[in-house]
Amino acid sequence: VSAPPRYYFRLNLYHRILHGMVIVSFLGLAVTGLPLKYAQTGWGAWLSHALGGPFTTGYMHRFFAIITFCYFALHLGYVARLILSGRRGIFWGPDSMVPQPRDLAQLVQHVRYFLGLGPRPRFGRWAYWEKFDYWAVFWGVSIIGASGLLLWFPTFFARYMPGWIFNVAIIVHGDEALLAVGFIFTVHFFNVHLRPEKFPMDPVIFTGRLEEEEFRREHPEEYERLLAEGRLEARRAEPPPLWLRNFSRVVGYSSLAIGIVLIWLIIATALR
Amino acid sequence: VSSARTALGTLLLLGAALSPVAGAAAQGKPAEPTPTAEDCLGCHADKDLKRSAPARGRPDSLFVDQTLLKSSPHARLQCVACHTTAMAPHDSPLPPVRCAGCHDKARAALSEGVHAGRAAAGRAPSPTCTTCHGTHEVRPAAALTVETCAACHRTQVQVYRGSVHGRSRQRGDLEAATCRSCHGPAHTVLARSNPRSPTYHLNLPRTCAQCHADPELAKRHNIPIANVYELYMDSIHGRAVSRSGLLVAANCSDCHGSHEIQRHTEADSRVFPANVPRTCSACHAGVLAAYAQSAHGRAAAKGLSTAPVCTDCHTAHQIRRVEGAPWQLDVIRECGSCHEESLRTYRDTFHGKVTALGLTRVAKCADCHGAHTILPASDPASSVSPAKLVTTCRQCHPGATAKFAEFHPHADPANKERFPRLYYSYLFMTALLVGTFGFFGLHTLLWLARSLIERLRRGRPGDETGGGS
Repeated sequence: VSAPPRYYFRLNLYHRILHGMVIVSFLGLAVTGLPLKYAQTGWGAWLSHALGGPFTTGYMHRFFAIITFCYFALHLGYVARLILSGRRGIFWGPDSMVPQPRDLAQLVQHVRYFLGLGPRPRFGRWAYWEKFDYWAVFWGVSIIGASGLLLWFPTFFARYMPGWIFNVAIIVHGDEALLAVGFIFTVHFFNVHLRPEKFPMDPVIFTGRLEEEEFRREHPEEYERLLAEGRLEARRAEPPPLWLRNFSRVVGYSSLAIGIVLIWLIIATALR
Repeated sequence: VSSARTALGTLLLLGAALSPVAGAAAQGKPAEPTPTAEDCLGCHADKDLKRSAPARGRPDSLFVDQTLLKSSPHARLQCVACHTTAMAPHDSPLPPVRCAGCHDKARAALSEGVHAGRAAAGRAPSPTCTTCHGTHEVRPAAALTVETCAACHRTQVQVYRGSVHGRSRQRGDLEAATCRSCHGPAHTVLARSNPRSPTYHLNLPRTCAQCHADPELAKRHNIPIANVYELYMDSIHGRAVSRSGLLVAANCSDCHGSHEIQRHTEADSRVFPANVPRTCSACHAGVLAAYAQSAHGRAAAKGLSTAPVCTDCHTAHQIRRVEGAPWQLDVIRECGSCHEESLRTYRDTFHGKVTALGLTRVAKCADCHGAHTILPASDPASSVSPAKLVTTCRQCHPGATAKFAEFHPHADPANKERFPRLYYSYLFMTALLVGTFGFFGLHTLLWLARSLIERLRRGRPGDETGGGS
């Protein structure tokens, strides 16, 4: 009866491949790292042995760490290429990832909306919580990556640094990992996939495109800006092919399941 | 009396048929009438009756106390039943009585044992039947006590009387071991060196197990370890004894002693904690030399009851190979039973986590601190002293430097005084976690509540346009 929904691109292939690397490496690091952090628990010991013991999980952990360093470098290269190509609005403006006064205002407005004190903010291309997720990866990879490298090559770094830095690295690496895992598997999962508007999953990170109706609902400011500037049609996309939708479901639900099981184990251990 | 004599005659005939010696004696003088007890007691009831010439190893008095005889199992026997060649009167001393005529089985058993063997080899003293059972006052086996053995084995019995077994017996504990419990029945008793002896080095564990493998017995006697035999047989000592037949491997008595055996709570026990190092050093002399110099050894020598001795780390009965992972991992927990704080902080490190997961390829307590040679870090000879620390780290980390060794393997981030840098790192991380989860936790809960409300209100969640597709 109604016309088939129109689709628009939100994320390009490069974005999606990089986020795919983030998913694989993040889950890999979590699955191989948490058993060591929780070595004293039954599930930690079980998982460690199921994956081949602490030395094997150690090798796997470093393998996923290399993927992390790769996507980090690839993203920095991507940003550098955008800058060199003369793209404007990377560091400021409606398409920028940099937090701006409008984000703080929208946060306040969003909370007021939660409390029933006002309308829902009209979000642009990147909502404030999406920007937070983005910068959290920057912060997390830097901190966990640096402390992880220290612990990976202790005798090398001990030539230049005092030994107590490794004590600090152990604390920082473990706690920051807990922060990252806890945040992604609860807050990020809820904000992006599990809240009632999106439940059970938003496949945009795999398909790269979203329906017009959702575009207007979730990113009204961007939609109207593109429409007004006549750039909307350039973002038009074919509906995602069946194989891509199936791929999204398999990878998406698997990732969600792994994350939810891990966070459930962490919370159960903390409450025990 | 006449019926008794008939019975005796039958018995004698039977004896004659069975025993060639007795038979020959009976046939030697067929014409003489056999004397009755009255005939014998005509002389032997005299308390002052003595030998004309003293005989070696036999009493001078020839008095026969009839009351003793009458209260013995032999009460119904005539004198000639034993003194088969006796005449009334007789001039020459009678030959020694041969019990074998009636007690053939006992005689046969005795010939297997060391007691008869000594007599056969002509070694003195060599016990005969009467040495243990007496003569006219003859006592059955059940009536014999350790006192019987004490006649010859005075020192051993004296030591035994002071032991836990001897003292328990004296208190009336009928389950406590006597000589026979360990050495076997008296007639067949064998020397400890005989491989068939129950006290032979390789047989002793089984002998002790007759009582000590019984958990009920252990319960009745407040023995703390009920499965001691099981533990021992599975230990390095027990396997060496039972599987390899090693005479140099410790059996029960090597540690506990034999006749002098005492509870481990008694100060004179060989297994009393303070005495354990000396007991073990009977075999492990080199270890004692190292241990005595260590912090643990010095504390134990001072009489500190909390100082660990050999058995605290190696256990008493379940002693395992120190090269094996099970022991190497368990002993970490054992160290931690005193050094709680150190174990807790060790578990925070990669070393501690890997060993918690059951692998030994990382540093365990003894890899850094040494085992028997353990010394406090303040001692220059300690493997963890500032001067030796780098060398110790290099055992596993060949590239370790002095700066590398500044890593604190037992750091406690909660200890602000000792580890301020860690404390503030930990505080910062905790604040970051609490802050982030607090803020976004609330944010998420509020959002969830609002989304659900919107969903109920509009039929479709969060739909600003109000329409559906």
